[in-house]
Amino acid sequence: MEDPTLLTPETEGLVQEIGTSDVLVGIPSYNNADTIGHVVRAVSAGLAKYFPSSRAVLVNSDGGSSDRTPEVVRQSIVDFGAMLISDRQSPLHKIITPYHGIPGKGSAFRTIFEIARRLQARACAVVDSDLRSITPEWIELLIRPILHEGYDYVAPYYLRHKYDGTITNSIVYPLTRCLYGYRIRQPIGGDFGFSGRLAGYYLDKHVWESDVARFGIDIWMTTEAVASGARVCQSFLGAKIHNPKDPAADLSAMLVQVAGALFSLMEEHEAVWSTIEGSAPVKLFGFQYEVGVEPVHVNVDTMVASFRQGLADLEPIWRQMLAPETLEALFPLRDCPLQAFHIADELWAHLIFDAAVAYRRYVMPREHLLKALTPLYLGRTASFVLETQGLTSMEAEGRIETLCQTFEKLKPYLIARWNPREKDRNAVEPTSLAEPELSA
Amino acid sequence: MRQFGETALLEPLQALGKQILALLPNVLAMVIILSAGWAAAWLVGLLVQRLLRVIGFDRICDRLGVTAAMTRGGVKSDLSDLIGRGVYWGVLIFAAVAALSVLNLQPIKEFAHSFLAYIPHLLMSALILLIGYLLSNFVSQAVLIAAVNAGFPLARLVAAASRWGVQIVAIAMALEQLGIARNIVALGFGITLGGVVLAAAIAFGLGAKDLAKEFLEGRLSRSQKSAVQDDLRHL
Repeated sequence: MEDPTLLTPETEGLVQEIGTSDVLVGIPSYNNADTIGHVVRAVSAGLAKYFPSSRAVLVNSDGGSSDRTPEVVRQSIVDFGAMLISDRQSPLHKIITPYHGIPGKGSAFRTIFEIARRLQARACAVVDSDLRSITPEWIELLIRPILHEGYDYVAPYYLRHKYDGTITNSIVYPLTRCLYGYRIRQPIGGDFGFSGRLAGYYLDKHVWESDVARFGIDIWMTTEAVASGARVCQSFLGAKIHNPKDPAADLSAMLVQVAGALFSLMEEHEAVWSTIEGSAPVKLFGFQYEVGVEPVHVNVDTMVASFRQGLADLEPIWRQMLAPETLEALFPLRDCPLQAFHIADELWAHLIFDAAVAYRRYVMPREHLLKALTPLYLGRTASFVLETQGLTSMEAEGRIETLCQTFEKLKPYLIARWNPREKDRNAVEPTSLAEPELSA
Repeated sequence: MRQFGETALLEPLQALGKQILALLPNVLAMVIILSAGWAAAWLVGLLVQRLLRVIGFDRICDRLGVTAAMTRGGVKSDLSDLIGRGVYWGVLIFAAVAALSVLNLQPIKEFAHSFLAYIPHLLMSALILLIGYLLSNFVSQAVLIAAVNAGFPLARLVAAASRWGVQIVAIAMALEQLGIARNIVALGFGITLGGVVLAAAIAFGLGAKDLAKEFLEGRLSRSQKSAVQDDLRHL
């Protein structure tokens, strides 16, 4: 159902003037004047080069920037001659609009989805406004699987250092793969492709006044896509280089956002994930390559110290969150030498599953529970770094694959603890992992 | 002699008897009110206890840590039972006071009025103590987790101090509600808190200047002291 209050009158007018579109690319923004010009030019070039005859619309959904970000979008033009692009059959329409609702990326996406629905766009994509490594090829890789291959959702696949995205590698990927049965390697990448039909499906969900609108939109989109039965795939986009965010800035806030969104979605989609066994590979488009990426310096000593302080000071809290045997297994790590510090895959899987169950049962204020995971996560990251320091990225990826298999193997433990009175559900036939159609 | 007996003994006894007879209807009313009050107390207490069980009140108290605190204090009954019993006794006491006031005896009437006027203060102070306890748990847990995540070595001490701070404020507010040594409590609390703040300011500002400088430098530049900078991108 259309929301008449979502778009400004000017935007409504523009949408009516444009009428319909084939392809829509959305760029949410807030004070990104220094980078958004490059993104707009890359998108424009990509649409002109790969979809020259498609009616294309670029939507900038802005959160009230004070650095003239919308003006930069308006003024960004592409030298098509230099790009060797000559065949432009359809002009690119630009819609620059503020968004309404709770401040955050989710509200920006909602505006983009609404415009996509009004324009009946067949294929859509959203890209971050601070990307420095985006190329026109990204647009083809995010849109073509939707437009020409019949997929509903395209997740990104970035070339990353083995120590990049440790929350994704140790929590988000293993857990979403284990729960929903699809090996989407980077479920919270930030740049996605999706069908117009899926955009309409997202719009009809009542999440826009919740935390999803603030900071859970990426994992929410991926989870809703797989849980709804959409056809999902991935596209290799190369390295993702964007404005550096302070890496130490509130790691616990990041965990609250990401793990909180994951656990909340587990509650909502229990009927889906509780019957799935194993996982299936997800089609990967794009030309894959490996190049050296910038080295990442890691301070293992600090992480281990944080873990040990957590073990000493947060033990009463962890005792409420974790199963007794899980907590007991952590004690030997209190005093062991640094090179022997190791949180095994099975222990880590138990930790995450116990935390999800404790979150569901509301054993303590949820924000406290999620923040108390920080020392555990740092301990696991330190353990992973120590284990893989001599390995190549591909070998380290092999370790992550082993971790994921452990998560899948221990899923019955999660199911048993999640619903202790309904253990017999395990006897139900597992859902097939063949690619189903998007439910109506 | 007979006249003396009639005047000195019979007449006072007759007067007493008349007074008792005059009082009898009130006594009867008192007994009826008390009996009805006892029945009402039993019924209401039972209903409250059952209602709290049905809505899962005991589970909520488990999660909030109230049950654990009661167990540590030697109270083993469920909170729903205790509240049910509390409601029973509350209604019964109320009925007893109402029954006594029916006797129409001035001293008893005055006692009943001041007792009834004091009950809201009693309930309010109990509520303040309960909220203060729950809030102190929440605040100390939040402080502990934040301090540990920030790598602060005295995390547990700071958390305990925050718990005690909130509980002391709650106790002071409860005592003020009960009207117990109002001025002394307010003054004592203000002097103590002011003294602690002043002492800390002097200690860090003057007396432990160098220590404060080292502490702050060590605290604020902890990451810089590490041999290797941490470049991890977690997402």
